[in-house]
Amino acid sequence: MKFILMMSGARTGVDQYRAWSPSDRDKHSAHLTRLNQELKESGEFVATQPLAGPDEATIVRAGKDGAPITDGVFPETKEFLLGYWIVDVENAQRACEIAARLSAGPGPGGIPTNMPIEVRQIMTGRGDELIAEAAKPERRRPL
Amino acid sequence: MKYMLLMSGAKSAFHDYANWTKEDLQANMAFMRAFSKELKDAGVYVSSEGLAFPDQAKLVRAGAHGEPMTDGVFPESKEFLAGFWIVDVESAEQAHNIAARLSGAPGPGGTRGAMPVEVRRLVERPAEQPR
Repeated sequence: MKFILMMSGARTGVDQYRAWSPSDRDKHSAHLTRLNQELKESGEFVATQPLAGPDEATIVRAGKDGAPITDGVFPETKEFLLGYWIVDVENAQRACEIAARLSAGPGPGGIPTNMPIEVRQIMTGRGDELIAEAAKPERRRPL
Repeated sequence: MKYMLLMSGAKSAFHDYANWTKEDLQANMAFMRAFSKELKDAGVYVSSEGLAFPDQAKLVRAGAHGEPMTDGVFPESKEFLAGFWIVDVESAEQAHNIAARLSGAPGPGGTRGAMPVEVRRLVERPAEQPR
């Protein structure tokens, strides 16, 4: 089963991270590199990718003629994806264990960040299952 | 330059989607497949992923001993990722044009949608050396 583990944060969190000392950042990076290595050795690693900062983020919508309408204004509280890992694991519990390892990454002074990591199953190539899932009666009840 | 195009929505948006007719869902899914093929033909496709409905979404934090502490309660307004595409293009403008195509994916009754697509540049690193 494939899962995506997502690290997100509001702009304030990103600003805090940017203020970390180089040595704190190096320790955090080393933690992540070690984890990536372990996941490669266990055969669970699929991909990881950092994103550029939210200051460059843009929202695009199709206009009436299909042309892009862009917007760069976001609510202060908006959570931006900062990076993700994709892992191929036995079950959801294992995906959560790996997410906890990410969350335990050292922050300033070596104290774990305890950052929340969102864990979601990947359904790529299973569109028909997704449609079947959407059609379940319990999904069609009013919210 | 690589860009990630993210489709997200609150739980209510997923609920609305689940209430589309089967035909509308299939038409939307067919558009997504054709869209990926179009990107592949244009040589800009890198990857794409679709995520499961957010009901099973978990938020995980490390506990005092590094153990996973999971939580499945999210604020009502929380935006969940539904899927994403990664494209390798010449400019941000090209990424925006592609995002607009995705934004216009057909909705109920085949009408052109205008869903917001978040466009984010990816940090590219040197390829890892194979061991």
